[in-house]
Amino acid sequence: MEEIVTRLKNAVINYEMETIADLAKQIVDQGIDPLVAIEEGLAEGIKTVGEKFGKGEIFLPELVMGAESMKAALAVLEPAVPQGQARKTLGKVVIGTVQDDIHEIGKNLVSTMLSSNGFEVIDLGVNVQAADFLKKAGELKPNILAMSALMTTTMPRMGEIITPLKKENPSVKTIVGGAPVTDVYAKEIGADEYSGDASGAVDSAKKLVG
Amino acid sequence: MPQEQWTLRRSLSGESVSYGIQRGIRFQILSDEDLDRIHWGTLHILEKVGVQVDSPTCRKLLKENGCETDEKSRSAKIPSHLVEEALRKKKSAITLAARNPKYDARLDMNHSYMCANGNGAVAIDFETGERRNSTKKDLVDSTTICDALPNVHVHWPMVSSTDMPPSVVHLHDLEASLNHTEKHVMYETGVTLQDAKDLTAMGYAAAGGEKEYRRRPITSCLQCTYAPLQHDAGVMDASLEFARSGVPLVFFCMPQPGATGPASMVGSVVVGNAEVLSALVMTQLSTPGAAVIYGLGIAPLDMKTTVRAGGSPEHAICSAMGTEMAHYYDMPSCVGVSGTAKEPGIQAAIETYTGCVGPLLAGADLMCGIGLLEDSSCLHLEQVVIDDEIVGAIARLIRGEWACDDTLALDIIEKVGIGNNYLAQKHTMQYLKTDHFMPTLMDRRSEDNWSKTGKKSMKDAAREKTKKILAEHKVPPLSDDVNRNLAAIIDQAKKPLWGGESKVQ
Repeated sequence: MEEIVTRLKNAVINYEMETIADLAKQIVDQGIDPLVAIEEGLAEGIKTVGEKFGKGEIFLPELVMGAESMKAALAVLEPAVPQGQARKTLGKVVIGTVQDDIHEIGKNLVSTMLSSNGFEVIDLGVNVQAADFLKKAGELKPNILAMSALMTTTMPRMGEIITPLKKENPSVKTIVGGAPVTDVYAKEIGADEYSGDASGAVDSAKKLVG
Repeated sequence: MPQEQWTLRRSLSGESVSYGIQRGIRFQILSDEDLDRIHWGTLHILEKVGVQVDSPTCRKLLKENGCETDEKSRSAKIPSHLVEEALRKKKSAITLAARNPKYDARLDMNHSYMCANGNGAVAIDFETGERRNSTKKDLVDSTTICDALPNVHVHWPMVSSTDMPPSVVHLHDLEASLNHTEKHVMYETGVTLQDAKDLTAMGYAAAGGEKEYRRRPITSCLQCTYAPLQHDAGVMDASLEFARSGVPLVFFCMPQPGATGPASMVGSVVVGNAEVLSALVMTQLSTPGAAVIYGLGIAPLDMKTTVRAGGSPEHAICSAMGTEMAHYYDMPSCVGVSGTAKEPGIQAAIETYTGCVGPLLAGADLMCGIGLLEDSSCLHLEQVVIDDEIVGAIARLIRGEWACDDTLALDIIEKVGIGNNYLAQKHTMQYLKTDHFMPTLMDRRSEDNWSKTGKKSMKDAAREKTKKILAEHKVPPLSDDVNRNLAAIIDQAKKPLWGGESKVQ
């Protein structure tokens, strides 16, 4: 059993996007605990990839391919997890780019980095209305709501979300980011954390759930 | 002799007074065959993949003109005959008129013009050195400096007035710009139909009415497309409004090779080209003959830091190729330069130089992006002044040289003879003025003299020059009447702080 879980871990490290789902299927077929496969295989694998990226040993496309490999295997393993059990994560993050803003690459990088560091990430996409952020925060009860804006014209929308969120779901913490956003601005609108890049967002998220 | 050299000689001999950078030499990156292949490749993408057009108005327009549209994916496939028709209707020579006509930027493919970067949200306080959110005062100061500098020809509001109410920040940016420079003001961007109306109304007011504005547009708007292959609804609705109102437009594409475009530079040029051409199609269908400038700023995503690699050689080479594509279509180009340095210094200088020299050698008509650091985010007033000097040096580099009786100077060589010098010749003084670049910041003195005056760095010199400009340079403001009109437009556009700003269709 150990051997195939190690193979799964290595499949993430070597970004075997096309074949990793087959490997995950074999694991399920062999009756191996899918939670063990996720935690000792996938999570360990993506952790290694994330660390290598953090040290500058690998490039961004390699990190993204590692995350894609993990996703492909999760799609097979997660449905096989017995009812009532769940994989351990550092916390749940709901993320999106605010209304009228369709820039997504920065937000996607943050999603990838958070997933590769052990967070469960629910990505709402781009041009997300304030009402939808608030609705999802109520439904999913995440630890963190993360928002991105890339234009000075859309930046104020983050404040429009944080103010009511504090009333409706005060336990949900917030992280804001995006090119024009600064730490000073984040404080002004009442955000809990600000980060200037994707690895900074991971540090912020860890701080908020720690 | 190339056309450019004829123009140049005429202007150097005083036959016409000319503004901007004279171009006498040009290098070529893409062959004619390369240009054809990029063009045909782009048409293929537009027909087969199409673009996402979020605006229902624009989708309807495309559908009525023979595009295959899909309401669910909001996409439109554009047949090549529409692109060709748009290219026939478009304008080739565009003049960006200035409040003071001596600053008119004639984008006629024979001159290059420079403008500073725009829309930063952070500034280094000139007095305290503190890094903080940018204010309207920063915009006033940077605009005054750009007005004074000889190698900044067209003005972009460099930073946002983030101390103003969020709904009217961009209107304050335009007001401060119009009052503190007599050069043409190009703003970025109008993101809703109402934005476009307000910004246009301000342009009309400053020009002295719609009729005068249409004759001499003293403002223009740069609109960004979204890579890969997307057009935002608000931006395109605003663009059509600008076109109807006679406001010149730049459609500026920014795919990032490896992230929002193919990692090969040429592949990303195809993606960007498809975005610009599809925006041109919509604009020309709506307002035939509208003034549209071809805009491109392609810099890769740095795959180690996840920061956009402005200031990279790839950014420069893409801006050069963007210019070649624009000229292939007989359109003026507006291409980008930027830098990722965090402070004025060696890295910033290398980035500005690399970023500007490539595209300018390739014949860029309008180059935008000097003066801000942290990839177009943070204003350092000294950097604007340093970059002006760098552009001055490049302008000399690309002016061109030629051999005629006067430059060969055989008569002077004969007159001076063997072993003597040329210092006392009138020819020397005459060519000193036209052919010798005179730096204002670079220190060419001996080490002795440099030591005696405190071993000042180039940044120190830039700081002194900045102080002097701020203290001494005066720009005539707009009239009180015009300013009352501008204030009224801004006041009317102001909306409550939270909510009420939504642009629901």
